[in-house]
Amino acid sequence: MIWLTWRQHRKQMLAALIGLAVLLAVLIPTGLKMHHAFTDMGTERCLNGLGDGSLVGAGKVSECQSVVDRFQRAYGDYGRAALLLIFVPLLAGLFWGAPLVAREIESGTHRLVWTQGVTRARWGAVKIAAITVAALLFAIGYAALVSWWMGPLNRTGTSRLEFLSFDVQGIAPIGYTLFAVALGIFAGTVTRKVMPAMAMTLVGFVVLRIPLAVLGRPNFQGAKDLKYPVVSDTAPNIGNGNWVISDGVYDRAGSLLAGDTQAVCWPPPDSPDADGCYGAGAYNLVSYQPGDRFWPFQYLETGVYVLLAAGLLYLAIRRLQRQMT
Amino acid sequence: MTSALETTDLGKRYGRDWGLRGCSLRVPVGSVAALVGPNGAGKSTLLHLAVGLLKPDEGEVRVFGKAPGDSRELLEQVGFVAQDTPLYPDFTVAELVKLGSKLNRTWDDDLAVDRLGKLDIPLDRKAGRLSGGQRAQVALVLAIAKRPRLLLLDEPVAALDPLARREFMQALMGIVADQGTTVLHSSHLLGDVERTCDWLVVVRKGSAQVVGSVDELLAEHRTLIGPRTREGEYSGVGTVLRESHTDKQTTLLVRTGGPIHHPAWNVSDVTLEDLVLAYLADPNAAALPGPVSLPQRGVGA
Repeated sequence: MIWLTWRQHRKQMLAALIGLAVLLAVLIPTGLKMHHAFTDMGTERCLNGLGDGSLVGAGKVSECQSVVDRFQRAYGDYGRAALLLIFVPLLAGLFWGAPLVAREIESGTHRLVWTQGVTRARWGAVKIAAITVAALLFAIGYAALVSWWMGPLNRTGTSRLEFLSFDVQGIAPIGYTLFAVALGIFAGTVTRKVMPAMAMTLVGFVVLRIPLAVLGRPNFQGAKDLKYPVVSDTAPNIGNGNWVISDGVYDRAGSLLAGDTQAVCWPPPDSPDADGCYGAGAYNLVSYQPGDRFWPFQYLETGVYVLLAAGLLYLAIRRLQRQMT
Repeated sequence: MTSALETTDLGKRYGRDWGLRGCSLRVPVGSVAALVGPNGAGKSTLLHLAVGLLKPDEGEVRVFGKAPGDSRELLEQVGFVAQDTPLYPDFTVAELVKLGSKLNRTWDDDLAVDRLGKLDIPLDRKAGRLSGGQRAQVALVLAIAKRPRLLLLDEPVAALDPLARREFMQALMGIVADQGTTVLHSSHLLGDVERTCDWLVVVRKGSAQVVGSVDELLAEHRTLIGPRTREGEYSGVGTVLRESHTDKQTTLLVRTGGPIHHPAWNVSDVTLEDLVLAYLADPNAAALPGPVSLPQRGVGA
């Protein structure tokens, strides 16, 4: 059974290895370059110098912001290109998961392999275990690589808690990959044809992933609030990776003056009515997820997808054992 | 006689339609049985139920006394050649043999390699590049090298040309003679199996219509030719299955209760083909075994 599994899936393994090699060839040189620049441009030193406080000296923040902007101008495109990596787990579901059972039934070879001296339960268990373990190993390698690569980008403008950034690093991609593979296998036992199984995998993956990321993730834990005056000698720390959910500038009475923005008048103007300072008593109100919630959120989301994957694989094996032709 | 395969009121539903219903039959150990019926009669369904690819919706199916399911022991005892003889097209013949050896504890590698050598099938050829006849032969080799006690074949020769068809049947009969395997072989054409089978199962519209030993069936049925007789005016001739009339004479195909002594009739033997066609043409006729363990239902005699 193990020989058969290897014989049937070795091409898929080879394709995945080539994919991983291409990823390595692209990410290692660019990642090294980015890490060097992060150090050489003084970005890292400046951000580390800000400490852990929520509000730090506005002068220091302003200084660091210009260094960060310089880094962003040079490497911001890398961050945008990295969004493509979000599709990698889906590929595993489409090309490894979906055909596992569906291709056998579609081509009729299930009638050959399920009538040998190996029970269908064992056939399914070996195949599913092999593909799942392979997907797990690839996902670990991929996630570790991207997590390293994203390091400097996480600290220069885009918090790693933010959409799409969160989704390509840490351990979450491992959860997504296992879920995609399990969904593909399960879909194959339902549709019994490869293309519909792939379509079902695609739809199922997107339908779950997007709402959970967009609606669920910001609410995994209550957001924190930060309130600070517009005219002040302190400003929010840009070095601690907080994820800003919403922000705005309010007047003394608490009415919104400007949404989706923050204002810091620094160096301190002659009068609070100076241009862009919103008058006396104006303050910023920021709702945010602290940067140190990255790992708890990662564990939570990965856990959800791993449980879903386990459930789908259980259902797939049960469907295999029951009538499946 | 013990049964290799026995079904009781077996039914399998596809959505709202029954692919098989009230199907009761048996195939004795050691027999070479033909499973005959028109397309869509339920032959494939019956074989898939027997090999455990399908589960019954009602009734039961027993192979060597056990219900086929996820049992390794039973899977090893049953060889199955599916319709259109599916093989992995990107596997070489040698890899298919390896598949058989890896998945069956009872596998006989020498038998497989030896037979493929005799058939001149190159071991390094990919299955997708074999001719239809070669594919069928390879599928048969895969089914017999596990040394099954029961061999089920689902129209393996349907897609073959007459020469390949004859070669396949010869190969099959050679194996049966060597190993004493029980065979159930389906076909929508009686010609494929007529010369080789000693047990006959005719299915029609999802249930068994004729089940029995070929010799007994042939002994029980007679063609009678006599003077023009009006319909319904025959007596003492048994059950009339088919009648045809010309101006001067009447021809009957009958199932007799015993010898026919009526002097008006000229009695002769029937061929198996005539017999099967007569039953298939008459949905109300059935020849099911009498006092065996099977209840009779569905179409009544």
